[in-house]
Amino acid sequence: MKLNGIIGLSITLLILSGCWNSREINELSISIAIGIDKTERGYRITHQILNPKAISTKIYTNETPIILFSEEGENVFSIIRQNTAEFPRKIYNSHVRMVVFGEDMARNGIQDVLDFLLRDHEFRTDFYFAIAKGTTASEVLSILTPLEFIPGIRLYNSLENSESYLGITQSVDILDLVQCIISDGKNPALPGIEITTGEKGSDTLDVLTTVSGKKGLKYIDMGVFKDDKLIGWLSEDESKGFNYIVGNVKNNIEYTHYNEKDQITYEIIDSAKKITTSVVNQKPSLLVEIRVKANIGAVDGYFDIMKKENESMVVNLLENRLQEFCESALRKAQTELHSDIFGFGEVIHVKYPKLWKEIKSNWSVEFSRLPVEFDVTVELNKTGEISKSVFTKEES
Amino acid sequence: MKTPRKITQAKKRQQASFPESNLGSDLFANLTRIKTDFGQNNDLVVNVLQWDDNPACIYAVLYLISFTNKDTINSLSDEIDSLKNKVSTKETYSTLRDFFSGIRVCKEGSKLMDLYAELLSGNMVFLVNGSERYFSVLAENTEGRAVEEPSAQTVIRGPKDGFTENLNQNIFLVRKRIKNTSLKLENLSVGKLTKTAISLMYIKGIAKESIIQEIRDRINRIEIDSILEGAYIEEWIKDDRYSIFPVFLSSEKPDSVAAALTEGKVAIFTDGTPYVLSAPAVMVDFFHSSEDYYHHFIISSLMRILRYMAFFITLLTPALYIGITTFHHEMIPTQLLISIAAQREGVPFSTFLEGLILEVTFEVLREAGVRMPRAIGPAISIVGALVLGQAAVDAGIFSAAIVIVVSITAISSFSIPNYEMSNAIRTARFVFMVLAGLIGLYGIFVGLIVLTLHLCKIKSIGIPYMTPIAPHIKGGNKDTFFRFPLWSMKKRPYGIHGIDERRVADEYDKQDKTKDQEFR
Repeated sequence: MKLNGIIGLSITLLILSGCWNSREINELSISIAIGIDKTERGYRITHQILNPKAISTKIYTNETPIILFSEEGENVFSIIRQNTAEFPRKIYNSHVRMVVFGEDMARNGIQDVLDFLLRDHEFRTDFYFAIAKGTTASEVLSILTPLEFIPGIRLYNSLENSESYLGITQSVDILDLVQCIISDGKNPALPGIEITTGEKGSDTLDVLTTVSGKKGLKYIDMGVFKDDKLIGWLSEDESKGFNYIVGNVKNNIEYTHYNEKDQITYEIIDSAKKITTSVVNQKPSLLVEIRVKANIGAVDGYFDIMKKENESMVVNLLENRLQEFCESALRKAQTELHSDIFGFGEVIHVKYPKLWKEIKSNWSVEFSRLPVEFDVTVELNKTGEISKSVFTKEES
Repeated sequence: MKTPRKITQAKKRQQASFPESNLGSDLFANLTRIKTDFGQNNDLVVNVLQWDDNPACIYAVLYLISFTNKDTINSLSDEIDSLKNKVSTKETYSTLRDFFSGIRVCKEGSKLMDLYAELLSGNMVFLVNGSERYFSVLAENTEGRAVEEPSAQTVIRGPKDGFTENLNQNIFLVRKRIKNTSLKLENLSVGKLTKTAISLMYIKGIAKESIIQEIRDRINRIEIDSILEGAYIEEWIKDDRYSIFPVFLSSEKPDSVAAALTEGKVAIFTDGTPYVLSAPAVMVDFFHSSEDYYHHFIISSLMRILRYMAFFITLLTPALYIGITTFHHEMIPTQLLISIAAQREGVPFSTFLEGLILEVTFEVLREAGVRMPRAIGPAISIVGALVLGQAAVDAGIFSAAIVIVVSITAISSFSIPNYEMSNAIRTARFVFMVLAGLIGLYGIFVGLIVLTLHLCKIKSIGIPYMTPIAPHIKGGNKDTFFRFPLWSMKKRPYGIHGIDERRVADEYDKQDKTKDQEFR
């Protein structure tokens, strides 16, 4: 009797607290990317759904690797469920890699959508955000991409790559984004995505059979937010400056002119920033120190980089160039957008909490006239496989 | 005539009275009694002989012809011939006995039951008219399988001799490895019907007295009619009789038994089987191979880690696959999920059913591989490989991923050196699969907790199964997950040894300077 009781209790315990929600993988429609647009009725949610049949190597089909489901409505969650009604399988959101906001949507504010994305248990927190620049998210998601079959994953991978090797984008996951929005001293900046022009449309499989001339997707510019609303764009150079200031550059290519037509190309291999703040007459000011390690990538003409005086020139050219980037980014943010995307407010908050309390309510105005100085230091690491140009003729 | 001649049947039928269990002084009465007990056994040979110039001197030779060495019979008759002139009427028995006990293994007795035991062990029994005692001469036919390489426990490096079905041969194989008077042997006989000879072997001082006594007591308590293999003993004297985990290390390699003896274990030899049990055996013993000690310790340690990994792969891979792909899709990396989703497209079964069917199919294949006649082996493997591996996936009935999971499980299960342990794990694997199919990862972890509790609870001859991990034995872990160098294993492992604890002399210096010398 006693034993039966124990067994009965254990089984009850097992079943009552177990994971009851068993679903086979082929009963799910795996959503890879979500696009959110603003419409007159409310929202248009676009799901990029994986089509496993097209990816399977066993079954040969002419189907596209993804299927788009788009629905309009007033409420985000109910739209997602309505997609399910159209589709034979329940939409599964744990593997969403990208959330793309249409530009209209971003300008109207993304806060309410973010609440849903954070609250719903199916969403993980490791997907990235992008803004469809000058177009809608559903347009962006409808473009098929070569090499990487699934556009959502392609967007995810190329965002990470362009951040690491190009320095013009920033990958922001939902926790970072929300952190920026709720913070008084920092505003978010999200990468913009653009449809490159081409003669052929890119929403049929035919596009994958041609070599060139098709529409594609490209990261371009950074969208600057004020709280949860998009207010403007940083150009490519400004985006670079932004990334140097926030210390987001890992590996990058820069070039400078040492005379009218000849260039020196640098490969940035490491970049670190240090922001210090000081207060003079109750007015905060900032010093941004940027330490960059660079290799020489290429030298045009007959420039001899082995000479001592030339070396400092090479360094100075790059330092000036980087300083220009940073200053242009700052100028745009201060004079045009009035949005502190660099997190300078946070720096002041940490160092001078009392002062911060006074100025935080009026931070965007204070930010616009905040004196910021840049100190860029470049350290040349290697000159590459050769020293001076091999085309230099020896003087005898 | 100088050769002994047979006495007629009529003469032997003379009746005599003697107590039930003891021999009488009348030879023919004794013989009648014996013949009645044995019945119409046509392999019992009873030769009644007398020297014709000495008519009072009548004696009988009894043996089982199926059991007795022909050469011994022949040479015995020569020896008796040479003895003939020395025999006097009064002292026939003692003369014969003294003569044989000088050159052969002899036993003497007066009990009828002992006489039968001698006959049934293949010995020749001599009865002399007028004597109430018998003596037996060892004439057992030891013909059998020669010492061969073990079929189930193979090694690359190390001794390749294996035990045979012959008890004495097996004892010899171990004894020649441990040339020491402390190596003790105890003979027991178990089985009301079979009277199977069981030998306990241990090293006095190294094996714990209490453990020896416990094993001895438990074997003596066995009440069964027949013992045909060591497993009968194991099942009778096991501590936790419902546990599927083996608690006796069965080995067909004399070197592993010798190693077990030096660790303080007791070896149980059973006549008629090439498997020798050693006890107490703990969990980690079943992951050790004798070869571990014959290779470099770093390499052996890596091999051991590999085996423990194989243990977990066998136990958990199918369960994890089922659990994660049906309950926890968010745990799979996206690319892998896409790949699995692509493979599962069009598969009619649920993952759990798929896994169960394939695992059962594998078990059937394995069982068929063991049972079927050798000649059809290749046919079965072709059908198995093609039907399971290729056709089932191509036809879209099973997904390729589950075939990979089942294969890796199958391969891993056989990298565990002990077959019984591998069986136990494979059985437990099914429980885990069901748990995963019902309640996902939660079920797997509940199962793991229960398994751990079970392993900690069971004992081998009073020694906790998880020794030396739980309970932790100081220094005992030098020979568990890793194989430490021999010179660093200073004490016998696991704390199961008796008074003799050290393996390596205390004064051994690791930094032996003489080794730095260089000869050119």
